Amino acid sequence: MPARTRPIDKLATAAAKCSTESSVYGKCIFADYNNVRKDMCATEFLKLKECYLVRSLPKIEWGSADQSTEGV
Amino acid sequence: MTTFSIRAFIPPLTRRCLPLQATRRYAVQAPGAPMLEIFSGQQKWMQKERAASDTETSRSVDYLRDEVASRLCERVLDINRHFPRVLDLGANACNISRMLTLPSEETPDKGPRSKRIGTITAADPSETLLHRDADLPFNKEINIVRDVLTTSELLPYEANTFDAVLSSLSLHWINDLPSVLAQVNNILKPDSPFIGVMMGGDSLYELRTALQLAELDRRGGVSTHTSPLADVKDIGGLLQKAGFNLLTVDIDDIVVDFPDTFSLMKDLQAMGESNAVLAREKGGIHRDVLLAAESIYKELHGNEDGTLPATFRLIYMIGWKPSASQAKPLERGTGMFSIKDYLEKDKKPGEGKE
Repeated sequence: MPARTRPIDKLATAAAKCSTESSVYGKCIFADYNNVRKDMCATEFLKLKECYLVRSLPKIEWGSADQSTEGV
Repeated sequence: MTTFSIRAFIPPLTRRCLPLQATRRYAVQAPGAPMLEIFSGQQKWMQKERAASDTETSRSVDYLRDEVASRLCERVLDINRHFPRVLDLGANACNISRMLTLPSEETPDKGPRSKRIGTITAADPSETLLHRDADLPFNKEINIVRDVLTTSELLPYEANTFDAVLSSLSLHWINDLPSVLAQVNNILKPDSPFIGVMMGGDSLYELRTALQLAELDRRGGVSTHTSPLADVKDIGGLLQKAGFNLLTVDIDDIVVDFPDTFSLMKDLQAMGESNAVLAREKGGIHRDVLLAAESIYKELHGNEDGTLPATFRLIYMIGWKPSASQAKPLERGTGMFSIKDYLEKDKKPGEGKE
């Protein structure tokens, strides 16, 4: 039986692929970390979350590499 | 003298719910002050049981407890004395006992550190964690007795029983620290040491701040995700209040680098050190907050190579139970020579060369 992947592991792998967005969001909070209020960096966070959601989708092999080479 | 008790035949979970009617033990409480309950003992017990049931993972995160237990053993060695009966209070996975069977790092060829220790009683409320390593070979090298406690705050031992009480990384989950320390003082023989180490003050401040900032931005408020911890300043007062003499308190920071916040949290969970504050938000941390905290942790505290440091501040404390025969500190002003002169004596020739 293959070991079950824990949700936190999925979150970790997906989050690791969004380092650019993550760093932008982190910098936004860091710029004014003594005065953080709700949704201070909402736009940056949404970008990060969007990236995370895309990355956390199971991989779907649409036009995979060998198909496209066949076409060429 | 001995009374027959059916307690041992009641399953552990039920046993924990039954009141300890027959037990009357020495305990203190500050007069007039209501008993503060910060941590949920039941929750902590469950977390430890659950963590220890996965033996492999649980063993893989012993790095912190082993290191701290090893440093504690070095402090025990500093006391030139034989200890026939020792109590390991809050033993976790008997880390102190295992570390005692290893030779000292400074003198690797002098044999195990446990030479001066007779019987060690390892006491912890979590049965699974306590017995996790019961089959390992080190159990044969040291005389170890495992005692499952009903609660971590009630020590079921007679007064003047032990020649030393050790405690490693478990006092930070105790609600009523003054009472437990007073009980420790009570079960010690006169002129015997209590040597303990606990998490303190700024432990995991990086995680604490990252989660706070993430929650402020995402949800507009803060909830408790890390325990309130005792500060170094408080420890001296606590020990003194519990009746200990000749106190020594010092701190030690251990910084562990983690690849990301998720592995830090997973390790804490596998240690059984997850959040058990009563006022915590039930259920897991929101996923958005986790995601935000990861970014903030990296930006605020991250190392240059992308790893995240996590600081564990350890407070070591040594206190002696008073006794008439004990060496007493000299009175102020009775010193015969100056320590300053003594320390500078060795320096003088070196200074000229530099």
